[in-house]
Amino acid sequence: MELEHRFTVPVPVAEAWDVLLDVERIAPCMPGATVDSFDGETIAGKVKVKVGPIQVTYAGTARFSEKDEAGRRAVIEANAKEARGSGTAAATITAVLTDSGGGSTDVIVTTDLAITGKPAQFGRGVMAEVGNKLLGRFADCLADELTGGTPAPAAEPVAAAAPASSATGADEDARAAPAAGSGNENPAAAVADATTGTPAPVARPAPAPTPIGSRRPPEDDAIDLLDAAGGPIAKRVLPWAVGLVVLFVLWRLVRRANR
Amino acid sequence: MIPAQFDYVRAGSVDEAVAALAEHGDDAKVLAGGQSLIPLLRLRLSYPEVIVDVGRVDEMRGVRDDGGDIVIGAMTTHYDVLHDPLVREHAGLIVDATTTVADPAVRHRGTFGGALSHADPAGDLPAVAVALEAQMVIAGPGGRRTVAATDFFVDYLQTAVGPDEVLVEVRVPKHTGWGHHYEKFHRVAQSWAIVGVAAVVRRDNGSIGEARVGLTNMGATPVRAVAVEQALAGAAPDAAAAAAEHAADGTNAPNDLNGKADYREHLARVLTRRAVAAAAGGS
Repeated sequence: MELEHRFTVPVPVAEAWDVLLDVERIAPCMPGATVDSFDGETIAGKVKVKVGPIQVTYAGTARFSEKDEAGRRAVIEANAKEARGSGTAAATITAVLTDSGGGSTDVIVTTDLAITGKPAQFGRGVMAEVGNKLLGRFADCLADELTGGTPAPAAEPVAAAAPASSATGADEDARAAPAAGSGNENPAAAVADATTGTPAPVARPAPAPTPIGSRRPPEDDAIDLLDAAGGPIAKRVLPWAVGLVVLFVLWRLVRRANR
Repeated sequence: MIPAQFDYVRAGSVDEAVAALAEHGDDAKVLAGGQSLIPLLRLRLSYPEVIVDVGRVDEMRGVRDDGGDIVIGAMTTHYDVLHDPLVREHAGLIVDATTTVADPAVRHRGTFGGALSHADPAGDLPAVAVALEAQMVIAGPGGRRTVAATDFFVDYLQTAVGPDEVLVEVRVPKHTGWGHHYEKFHRVAQSWAIVGVAAVVRRDNGSIGEARVGLTNMGATPVRAVAVEQALAGAAPDAAAAAAEHAADGTNAPNDLNGKADYREHLARVLTRRAVAAAAGGS
């Protein structure tokens, strides 16, 4: 299954590229994920997905397999295994940035998913809409992140981005994952508390104070990808595509199981 | 497969069920007829810590007449719904759709409220509930509240029922004398609808006075084919074909192995034409 998502961010290609490759910064955009470890290259973590009565946890790794700066093309490989089963999921995520003129950048994210094990028994049913919803959520967050990355007075761009993000729901949760510990010195990366719109301290990003689950906006219930157990301390993980896989698997299974 | 371990609470009343849910919250799951939940448990796709079984809550079972509505208990089995005289007289559309739900074994165990609460967009009953403008009565710690069917279905497998709430009964406005038909397209008899269309039509002096059309599996939730309904209002019975051309307007049909979105849109138009024609023409 291949999913594609496009969006445009109002920053030059070079800046967007830097943000894209900053794993610590874009990782929070993946709802439902927790990081177990990050060695500078490979992230190990889990993605827990909940859709209605169904829960599945995938554990695995993600890393950049290609960073073509000249071509502005980055490829992320993610591999995961069901935490409570034998199924596996693999995703190849390709992000391509192109200059769309006027200091804006077009971003195209293409995701190729492959699954094995139990899900394979159920065929290749695709709830592209669910996948797209998740992808869209990630992309919205990424767009906010890229927009917020513009060199500007500290916190201002973030504060501006916060209201926009409220329309998408999950990215607020994702943003709530603190920038703390990321060591990111970029002032604009001091992620605002999207719920209150309050800019986080610039010099010393603090952990988000509230449990993530408590601030979940209504739309986020739609696809409850976010496990409160992830907590405000845990950083979010990159392999968002794993979530897509999981959803896709779940969908097949529930429909099959359902009757 | 064998389900993961869970605690089991058998509720004797709605209050007991709500109390158990209030205690365990997100870790608990209501078991109705078990035709969706048990397979999920056995596949270990769902592992709630507590199962709250409402199978013996008598007050959630049965159909009663309540003025302008009939009230169907959430735990009424599909079989009992099918054979209930009140449902047959006042909400024949439910009978049409329920006969297509799965197979007889499932219909003897599965429940009306369970199917609605599971909220599968390919399930047959959600579109019917939406078309009939049913009202869902949900019990929770704060008492009971009523949610319109269109607001009840939130997204894939997601309803307005909170983790500490349970769907108790469904109020269905009487559609006595309305023509009705459920047209379902699926590959094998007991499978899910690829697309389904639920239609009720009130005839008025030989023309269509009013029509309501609900679509199954044309989006994450059941939807009303509003454009079709508008085109049909006051129209002649043979207007179905023209009106049905609008069936897919505003829908967001899924792509999957059973069909791409454009194929589903085509199906929606064809099935709507058939369903409306059947509902307008007879029964």
